Amino acid sequence: MAVIEIHDLVKRFGSTVALDGLDLTVAAGEVHGFLGPNGAGKSTTIRVLLGLLRADSGTARLLGGDPWADAAQLHRRLAYVPGDVNLWPGLTGGEVIDLLGRLRGGLDERRRAELLERFDLDPTRRGSTYSKGNRQKVALVAALASDVELLLLDEPTAGLDPLMEAQFREVVREDRVDGRAVLLSSHILSEVERLCDRVSIIRAGRVVESGTLAELRHLTRTQVRAEFASPVPAALAALPGVHDAVVHDRTFSAQVEDAALGDLLSRLAPLGVRSLTSTPPTLEELFLRHYDRTGTGTTRP
Amino acid sequence: MTGLGTLARLALRRNRWFYLAWILGMAAVAPATAAAYETIVGPLGGTGALDLLAGNPTMRAMLGPPYDLTSPGPFTVWRVGTFMATVAGIMAVLGVVRVSRADEEEGRTELLRSGVVGRHAPLTAAVLVGLAACAVLGLLVAAGMVAAGEPVQGSVAFGAGSALVPAVFVGVGAVTAQVTSSARAARGLGLAVLGAAYLLRAVADAAPDGSATRALAWLSPVQWMALVHPYGDERWWVLLLPATLTALLVAAAFALEARRDHGAGLWAVRAGRDRAAPSLLSVGGLVRRLQRGSLLGWLVGLGVFALGMGSLSGSFDTMLEQIPVLETMLRRLGQGAEQLVDAFFVALLGVVAVLVAVLAVQLWQRLAAEEHRGHAELLLATAVPRARLATAYLVVAAVGSTAASALFGALLGLPESLSQGDVAPMLGSLGGALVLAPGALLVLGIAVLLHGWLPRLAWLVWAVVGWSLFMVWVGSLLGLPDWLVRLTPWAVLPALPVEEMDWAPVLSVTAAALVLMALGVWGYSRRDLRLP
Ligand SMILES: Nc1ncnc2c1ncn2[C@@H]1O[C@H](COP(=O)(O)OP(=O)(O)OP(=O)(O)O)[C@@H](O)[C@H]1O
Ligand SMILES: [Mg+2]
Repeated sequence: MAVIEIHDLVKRFGSTVALDGLDLTVAAGEVHGFLGPNGAGKSTTIRVLLGLLRADSGTARLLGGDPWADAAQLHRRLAYVPGDVNLWPGLTGGEVIDLLGRLRGGLDERRRAELLERFDLDPTRRGSTYSKGNRQKVALVAALASDVELLLLDEPTAGLDPLMEAQFREVVREDRVDGRAVLLSSHILSEVERLCDRVSIIRAGRVVESGTLAELRHLTRTQVRAEFASPVPAALAALPGVHDAVVHDRTFSAQVEDAALGDLLSRLAPLGVRSLTSTPPTLEELFLRHYDRTGTGTTRP
Repeated sequence: MTGLGTLARLALRRNRWFYLAWILGMAAVAPATAAAYETIVGPLGGTGALDLLAGNPTMRAMLGPPYDLTSPGPFTVWRVGTFMATVAGIMAVLGVVRVSRADEEEGRTELLRSGVVGRHAPLTAAVLVGLAACAVLGLLVAAGMVAAGEPVQGSVAFGAGSALVPAVFVGVGAVTAQVTSSARAARGLGLAVLGAAYLLRAVADAAPDGSATRALAWLSPVQWMALVHPYGDERWWVLLLPATLTALLVAAAFALEARRDHGAGLWAVRAGRDRAAPSLLSVGGLVRRLQRGSLLGWLVGLGVFALGMGSLSGSFDTMLEQIPVLETMLRRLGQGAEQLVDAFFVALLGVVAVLVAVLAVQLWQRLAAEEHRGHAELLLATAVPRARLATAYLVVAAVGSTAASALFGALLGLPESLSQGDVAPMLGSLGGALVLAPGALLVLGIAVLLHGWLPRLAWLVWAVVGWSLFMVWVGSLLGLPDWLVRLTPWAVLPALPVEEMDWAPVLSVTAAALVLMALGVWGYSRRDLRLP
């Protein structure tokens, strides 16, 4: 069963089209990465799912309910951490954690204490005296200490130091064992790579790519570099599926589509290969291609 | 001080409507009063009666001692001058805190400071814009008085005083913005200083002639404009007092700013509880906790004001016997009361009823601030329905403002009751205050409706409040047409004890208020949340 099902969602702010026919599915128990450049519509999607914003058209289902009409009931079963956590200046972190936990329907006391310890957070300080990272931790503890089926996390580690980020990853991984689904918007690729089962990439209000990391990797090209005993024939560069080829006397390098790899290798062999390296595509390359506003936006053949 | 010009322009642009609304509202009052001089004094049959009236301790406590009532200029200074200077002080405190501490609290200054902007540039910009607003106010007052046909020299003195008194409070606001780390507290502290200054001169001016207490008025900055004696002997040197104090306060603010960290105040923030008290663990509990500070401040301020006014009212009876003709004038203010005390109470309750509406709207609009700061987002992502969040704010605003009405009414009559040994006066003024409370609820209803459906136009409710305040304060004195003066949410409500109790308007205004509130909450549940 899917905990989030969004189909053809459109949200406009005046003349700005923030979401432009967005489709997104998150299965139960899945950690789903949500990536995209600034202003792509990640936060807007999450806020529509929370019933804070009303979609102009399209359908959205959240935990089997309507995120707008059933907002309050559904929120007992999920927890949210906003991208920019603002706390009440006069309330302490501990008070905010208790308050948000209670308003959500209850807090796991043992977990609260454990998380405070792990995130090294002082709950007696007031909102106005916390640093950005510590504000973020307050919201994280409040969310993670609740017994919920779904976590909506909007760039939850934006202000955390590397140590705390590692703690966060560990906690989310433990949670996954409990079958908790997570929608994690992030700009930190290593985090997404290490945590997420599936990834959706959003650009200008639409999802342009969605799948497991392995699937996404297949969509990209492998960097191939080879050195030969004899000069390389220029015809190699013109093979279908070979891109950005550079032929330089006895060396050859190119970006090669997965489907064209076999063909290329069979042609390389007779030339007397001295050395051959092939680098699998990094996620970063994949993302950067999508983030690049001037690019084609999609790599689907 | 690099970047000062840019910052000052930015502050000016972002706050021009704020300052413009205040300045225009205030600047219109003085020339209008001067122009209406004949209409006001005529029915009294000359200035002799006016002298007696103005010599009354209560009147002196409210408006200050007159030094010349025989011509429109000094009459205006006495009748509206000190009050206007005080209101301008409110503008100055709010304005400076808005541009300095509020921006810093919301993180805007940090962004600016990280650019090429000198350390003190944001505060300097706030002070400069505040002082410029005071100067514009002074110019408009002087020009308006000259246009109303008053002598130039006196008008210049009046204008200079009207500029320099609020300038002091630009300095006060600049200092309090350094002391506290929250804009809310800085505003509260600044306004408390202003209130104390007003109270000090009220006490001093009410004291009998020749008493040493009278000299205390010199310690109150809000009195300095009148002490110049515009249109009288123009003691220009008195203007040095506010000018010097302003300079000292601004210098102190800069010295304090140099000693504190960005984002912090001078008052260290103490650690608090690690667990929430049970009373906090609900939306209502949270809202009560967030609002109790401002509500308490208002209650204390109104309470002190009520006791002060109530204890002075006794002196009215004797005066009525001395000058029967005064009835005419006070009846006009007090809706035609037989008893001068009653007329006084009615006039006072009318003004306070509008102030209570200010409180109600302020308490309600905290919800808009919560949306703007992203706190509402945190709450509404939990199992809290929109309507419950809005209702929590609404209940605190409605109950808080009604309680403020009741408190003011009860304390206003208390001194009279104590001296007579009879609860009747207290119950009378309590009833009079409570009967007007639905007016504030109606204004609150308008605010709720606007917030639910047209949040961008939420400021419109302040136009209603400003209009009403203008009408109850000077509308009847200026001899404006009756239908215009009665165009306020309070006009249909009975003015007890002068008018008969009439439940129909009380209930229908309350019902209208409830309908507006329900519509507003409904709209709020249907619209996009406003996000940071
Ligand atoms: N309340 C609003 N009013 C007007 N426009 C808005 C509002 N909220 C978002 N937008 C616009 O909608 C678009 C999507 O914004 P959104 O915040 O969802 O992006 P995002 O993917 O979360 O970006 P980031 O990575 O910077 O957080 C942007 O163009 C933004 O300017
Ligand atoms: Mg975002």
